[in-house]
Amino acid sequence: MLIRTIVAFLAIVCLATTASADIGRVKKVRGDAQIERDGQLMAAEPGLTLNAQDILVTGADGQLSVTFIDNSRFSVGPNSRVSLERFEFDTTTHEGAFDTKVEKGSLAIITGQIAKQSPDAMKIRTPTSILGMRGTRLIVEVEQ
Amino acid sequence: MRGSLAVTLLLLTMTAACAPSTKIILLPNEGGGGTSGSVALLSEEGDTVATIDDAYSVARVHDGGRRDIGQTTEEALAPRHVSLIQDLPQPPRSFVLYFEEGTTTLVPASEPALVDLFKEVEARSGADVQVVGHTDTLGSGPDNDSLSRDRAKEIAGVLIESGLPSHMVSAVGRGERELLVETEDGTSNPLNRRVEVLVR
Repeated sequence: MLIRTIVAFLAIVCLATTASADIGRVKKVRGDAQIERDGQLMAAEPGLTLNAQDILVTGADGQLSVTFIDNSRFSVGPNSRVSLERFEFDTTTHEGAFDTKVEKGSLAIITGQIAKQSPDAMKIRTPTSILGMRGTRLIVEVEQ
Repeated sequence: MRGSLAVTLLLLTMTAACAPSTKIILLPNEGGGGTSGSVALLSEEGDTVATIDDAYSVARVHDGGRRDIGQTTEEALAPRHVSLIQDLPQPPRSFVLYFEEGTTTLVPASEPALVDLFKEVEARSGADVQVVGHTDTLGSGPDNDSLSRDRAKEIAGVLIESGLPSHMVSAVGRGERELLVETEDGTSNPLNRRVEVLVR
């Protein structure tokens, strides 16, 4: 019982400042949706944890919902390529930096603690714009 | 003949070189009320070029920076955009737990919250749980940061013991940054000494 408690205690992911792993988690998936990591594609599934530099990729019928550890949330639409370029987050102070690139397709976003703590600390980049998030809910779409 | 070929090639090159435009639709905040946050269009250097802060504003930004800003309504949103919004994950749900002073024994009044917490985890696809420790203002800021983090780790352990898969659980400390009851510095207050569990 004691051993189990100790093992459980050690197994907890507890971070004051975050590494670039486990920055978020896939919540829902529909159709053709994958994560590209280090050049490899893997099927997205609810519960899959995400790392900085992961790319969210959807096909013509694909959809992907993700929540990040600062409580920001994404909904990725079909035919999209969304790159999680940079994610740094201090879970105690809520300071951080979160840069996402929407290379193609569409993304709905609800911002979280990083954006709330510092305006423009969360940014979305597209081929023609750089957007600073300021406690907000929005859709970003790269037109065909 | 050669002239029009040159023009055609030039036009093709220009079109090919043009990056696709971006459309931005600002939505009202969750929970109704019609308020919205705002989005800033930034330059490469990070300077604010323009701000969008009206709900249902639609901005289109073209290659080269030219932009048009207009307005839409909830009713006029395209089906694909309605769908995108509907697919956003639900907001996290927070459960506050109180413990017998200095122990990991839940006070009886917090037992229903624990039951609800587990039900919420069951109900969510790909759920994860973040245990957040909070202190009162007694003690220094940095000490309270450590204390709250240790406390969160301890309670995360209890939740794992009670059946939550460990890969689903994380623990963080917020020190005295989120007081439930505003007090002066250096004030003991049991309501502030709490653990909040977020189910995402």
